[in-house]
Amino acid sequence: MKRILINLVLVILAFTIQNCIFPQIPFLSASPNLLLILTFSFGFICGKDAGMLCGFISGVLMDLFYAGPFGFYTLFFVYVGYVNGIFTKYYYEDYITLPLILSVFNELAYNIYIYIFQFLIRNRLDFLFYLREIIVPETIFTVLVTLLVYRIFLIITRKMEELEKRRDTDFV
Amino acid sequence: MESKRSKYILIGLTVFCILLIGISSIGDGFLSPLRSGVGYVLTPIQSGVNKVGAAVYEKISNFSSLQEAQDENKRLRDQIDALAEDNNRLQQERFELERLRSLYDLDQEYMEYHKVGARVIAKNSGEWFQVFRIDKGANDGIRKDMNVIAGGGLVGIVTDVGANYATVRAIIDDSSEVYGMAMQSGSNCVVEGDLTLYKEGRLRLTHIPQDGDIKEGDRIVTSNISSVFLPGLLIGYASDITVDSNRVTKSGYLIPVAQFDTLQEVLVITDLKSDLQQEATGETAGETAVESEAAQETVSPAESAEGES
Repeated sequence: MKRILINLVLVILAFTIQNCIFPQIPFLSASPNLLLILTFSFGFICGKDAGMLCGFISGVLMDLFYAGPFGFYTLFFVYVGYVNGIFTKYYYEDYITLPLILSVFNELAYNIYIYIFQFLIRNRLDFLFYLREIIVPETIFTVLVTLLVYRIFLIITRKMEELEKRRDTDFV
Repeated sequence: MESKRSKYILIGLTVFCILLIGISSIGDGFLSPLRSGVGYVLTPIQSGVNKVGAAVYEKISNFSSLQEAQDENKRLRDQIDALAEDNNRLQQERFELERLRSLYDLDQEYMEYHKVGARVIAKNSGEWFQVFRIDKGANDGIRKDMNVIAGGGLVGIVTDVGANYATVRAIIDDSSEVYGMAMQSGSNCVVEGDLTLYKEGRLRLTHIPQDGDIKEGDRIVTSNISSVFLPGLLIGYASDITVDSNRVTKSGYLIPVAQFDTLQEVLVITDLKSDLQQEATGETAGETAVESEAAQETVSPAESAEGES
């Protein structure tokens, strides 16, 4: 229950920063996708279930914000949480290479997902343009931010685990 | 064991999402209470964060832009002189226009719209969509399909309304299409948002008939025939008009009047096109009964028949 609450707070925080702060910074031509970083970090650090939970909350929030078909983002974010959860067996602390690689693939998958289902079906075929102008800059920014944000999540999850352990021992 | 459970959850959620996508693409009316509810929680947060962010950024940029502002001040003073002169001339022309207008009884066509100011509190993340959220909603009288303007030009249209927020799709969004016409000649055209042109600050102008008279620099306004956009709102200026390869239509580009990257406050026009149409048909139908038949020509026969019945 507490986990859900913390997830919810983190997701809303990331969402508001992403939507209210980043667009105001004029020299940012592309903005990093914080929700995606959050979801895949949780999946990678805490496993499939935690990843799916975080992905579900992020996705629902995105779907509520955009007036498109409901469930479009939820579906993708749940899968991000699950797939990254598979890699949790390779996880150990202070190991940053794999998360960075995962971040690149997640970001590419996310953008291609949007391209196919929102642009390609409307006959926008110039994929290379979108790749060059949108996907690559956003991917680069997201990977850079991952370097920073992933560490913060590590600290948060470590604190969370400590709290849970302490409470367990209290009860015993 | 654990992974099997995860798999079941994944499959369950997948089916759930696909069902929702299916249902909501047919009609998403049942979701509006949910969206509205979340809006109650989220909008104050977004509003607050937005204000804090804006304040911090303003502080920082204040220092650096002082010099810039002084230069600009000088430049603007010169501009004011020029504008004052222009203004005098325009005012004279306005009086003349008013006289002529009352002469031709055209004021119905260029009626003044009621507007509500709103602040942009959130923009979509990423570059794929040009959608933003404003801090006024159904409680302030905002309704779906209302037109949004800023800086003297059309900005977008309200696509989704919650109790205290509304989502606006900008005309530069890739899926946006607006019926327009040239102000001088009245030739019809369609203004399409296009992601590949957005960075150059241009929109696509298509479906101009071969014999349509649209030239470089013509003012493009919203057309009378649009079902949701009010007539006569300035969109931008035409440029680079060429004949299409099919030799039937012409197309080109449009440079919008509104500045989209620095959008902070917008005006929402609270008159809806559908309401205006109803009022107009009702009025003219009443008039025609008393007055001459000449007025009836302004309304199509089907509409006036509807008004009378």
